[in-house]
Amino acid sequence: MNKPLPKRAAVVIIGGGVQGLSVAFNLIEQGQRDILVLDAGYWQGGASGRNGTLIRPGFASVAWTELFVLTVNEWRSWSKRLGENVMFTQRGYSVVSEVEKSEAMLLEGLKVQKSLGVNSWMLSRREIDDLLPAINKSRVRAVQHQPEGGVAPHHAVMKGLLAFCQRNGVDVRYRTAISGVERTGPRVSAVLVGDHRIEADCVVACAGPNNPDIAAMAAVPLNGFGMRIEAMALEPTRPLIKPAIALIDSLAYFHQTSRGEVVGGTEVPETPRMSLKVDVPVMVQMAKVYLEMFPQLGEVRILRHWAGQFHASSDYAPLLGEHPDLKDLWFSAGWSYGFAGAPAAGKLLAEAIARGRIDHRMKPFALDRFEKTGPIAEGGIVLA
Amino acid sequence: MSHDNQQAEVTFLWNGAPIRARQGDCVAAALWRAGITTLARSRKIHRPLGYSGSYPTGVLARVNGRPNVRLDQVSVQDGLVVEMQNTWPSPRFDLLKLAQFLPPKLVYGGFEHGAWMPKTGPAYRFAERAMANLAGVARPADVTIQPSPIPGERVAVDCLVVGGGPAGISEANRRARLGETVALVTRGDRLARFATAAGAAVEPLSPQVRLFAGMELFGVYRDGALMVGAPHDNRRGAVAFDPRGTVLATGRRSIPPLVRGNQLPGVFDAHSALQLAAVHRVMPGRRVSVVGTGAETELADRLVSLGVDVVHRGPVEELVEITGRSRVTAIRAGAEIRCDAVVHAGPWRIDPSLGFQASGEGMFQMLARPLPDTMSVVGAAALDNERVHARKHLHPGTLICPCMDVTAGELYCHIDEGETDPEVLKRLTSCGMGTCQGFPCWEHMLALLAARIGVEPEAIARPTHRPPRRSITVAQAAGLAALVEPDR
Repeated sequence: MNKPLPKRAAVVIIGGGVQGLSVAFNLIEQGQRDILVLDAGYWQGGASGRNGTLIRPGFASVAWTELFVLTVNEWRSWSKRLGENVMFTQRGYSVVSEVEKSEAMLLEGLKVQKSLGVNSWMLSRREIDDLLPAINKSRVRAVQHQPEGGVAPHHAVMKGLLAFCQRNGVDVRYRTAISGVERTGPRVSAVLVGDHRIEADCVVACAGPNNPDIAAMAAVPLNGFGMRIEAMALEPTRPLIKPAIALIDSLAYFHQTSRGEVVGGTEVPETPRMSLKVDVPVMVQMAKVYLEMFPQLGEVRILRHWAGQFHASSDYAPLLGEHPDLKDLWFSAGWSYGFAGAPAAGKLLAEAIARGRIDHRMKPFALDRFEKTGPIAEGGIVLA
Repeated sequence: MSHDNQQAEVTFLWNGAPIRARQGDCVAAALWRAGITTLARSRKIHRPLGYSGSYPTGVLARVNGRPNVRLDQVSVQDGLVVEMQNTWPSPRFDLLKLAQFLPPKLVYGGFEHGAWMPKTGPAYRFAERAMANLAGVARPADVTIQPSPIPGERVAVDCLVVGGGPAGISEANRRARLGETVALVTRGDRLARFATAAGAAVEPLSPQVRLFAGMELFGVYRDGALMVGAPHDNRRGAVAFDPRGTVLATGRRSIPPLVRGNQLPGVFDAHSALQLAAVHRVMPGRRVSVVGTGAETELADRLVSLGVDVVHRGPVEELVEITGRSRVTAIRAGAEIRCDAVVHAGPWRIDPSLGFQASGEGMFQMLARPLPDTMSVVGAAALDNERVHARKHLHPGTLICPCMDVTAGELYCHIDEGETDPEVLKRLTSCGMGTCQGFPCWEHMLALLAARIGVEPEAIARPTHRPPRRSITVAQAAGLAALVEPDR
């Protein structure tokens, strides 16, 4: 635990959350050794330990759906490859529309999903009764169901990733904040931890809401900013809600965990800010949504409410790849669906770093897309 | 146990059997009077739990089709249907309690990811389903229970006093005399419950002070400019306060002794033992041991004056173990002392939640800091925390977190491998993630950790205290919708 930091590492990963550890895990599988992971906080202290843990393959755009089809395939094999149970469970994912406009968007998305081989369909009234018996059907206009979607509890996922990395010689350091990124000519050459310099062939920033700070240290531009988002857990009961659920109009998402708590989050129109503190409006809005959609939750008590922080890019899509202005500095940034997307991001980045192969599924998410091809239009995400 | 025939009687059902009770009793006291000590079972090992004053999880039951109702906050009524949770197939024929005989190591790390769980495929899906049923503990509410939002209220005051003991009343009266508008929130159904039960004289609350009784003030938001409380009675609405200043008069609570058996029915904190004896007129036990950090003598005298047979009084440090299968039958404190109840009066500690919420800051971890200028502390809450006595080698079966069934042995597994960060220990074991949300169980976890690795307990950073720790229902929270705007 307390051995001194190395003076050199082949790959330095900044951020020991699900993104950073997924990159490390995939690099190990690609044969890469000499990997150092640095994290300013504690294990699971960032968004990787605070998110809603929902996973689905299907969205409304080709770019998102291709990336998340890959991620679901990766999730399926993680327990086996890691040798640890990440508890990924394909209990299904239902995207609920409450108005005509979002129903049309879900129907459009269905076409995209079909063309990419995603198993999804609109539920009939009968199927809604079977799958979501507790839902308030008077509020439901349409439900797009993705049986291959599901959840993976973040504590199990992070435990599995960390155990694998440590077994395979990855040096993972928590509570170790970097203070600078050094560049030499056109490429990144080292990171600094206080006065200590760590030379690196390659640096991967997976720092969540702090990615803009890493970019600033390296003196390169990066789209987006860090902000808080809140979630809460209800007191546990035995199973009431089977699939994971996104309410596309109420901007809410939730599921019932395998230990019985209904965990979910929503958004309110507040001024974006970085903070781990919570405020009342999210709790109130989320409660309102539960009461309207699952009235049986009305007298359930709210157990805890917390905030997490993420890096919001201007189209809420990830920023994946090498920085166009600085060689050997890679980013897995801009994530709003980062927990779900981490297996795909880790795989694609590791292939790019270790083999120089840029997969076509990664290209749309390039860091300079805003100047070159424009933002990615995706109507199927629960964010506004 | 004692019975007073002068009072009007009501009859309610416990697991289908009629129980006669005194009008005005809470269900927990009525069941104790009737000799029913096990009201709940811990979620994994199904240890018996009861009314303790320390762990709400021991008094959660199904009442009239509603899960997880606190039996110490519900009054008896004719025809009330009360059932034990976490049983299968039924409360009267419960096979799950056989889990008590499982080796405890089987459920280390949360039983949903024990080493024996299948990793993938249909076997995992089946296991997950079974585990979800076990871990959920309570059946969801009956489908007929579909409430509407309970309209809340927003209250602006010069001064909000939290706590209805003598210190809170005195401070509220003083502020009111200065011409301030004052609100006082107390979780008691009436003021100064414990001081009164202890036999102290208490000054009356000024009629100028607006009183919110039976309400838990749980949340501090916007650096204390917005505070939220909700009544225990879930048919009444929540209240969002805008105080110019807040006074915490929340007192201190006695932390259960950190020894094996501390969760057994029959272990009470000083407050609830006094409540039982003085208000409900039911003895905490036939033979009672009183332990503490100095206050045990006075408490024992008071209990004796209320008719309790106190067989032992002594320092909590001397207590080595509390023994019994389904309730207390003896303690070991030097010699073995046969008794059927243990009352603890110390170590006294402040519930840190409100102070932590008001002052916590940090980008990577929330850490408590000095309170903001708008907040002050009076009464016992302004005193020091007393130290929780912890041995370096506790019996591994010592329960630290009854809600999530976390034992000393499970924490030792991680600590002895070098994991000494309380935030990480919390995530590895779920310690403190249940009904009480970290008080009192983190007091035990931190004391255990400090003793094991040989550091000062106060030097260890606490895990984050989060609101609302089951103090508000979904319908009560929804009733605040039109009252609190997002912070733009």
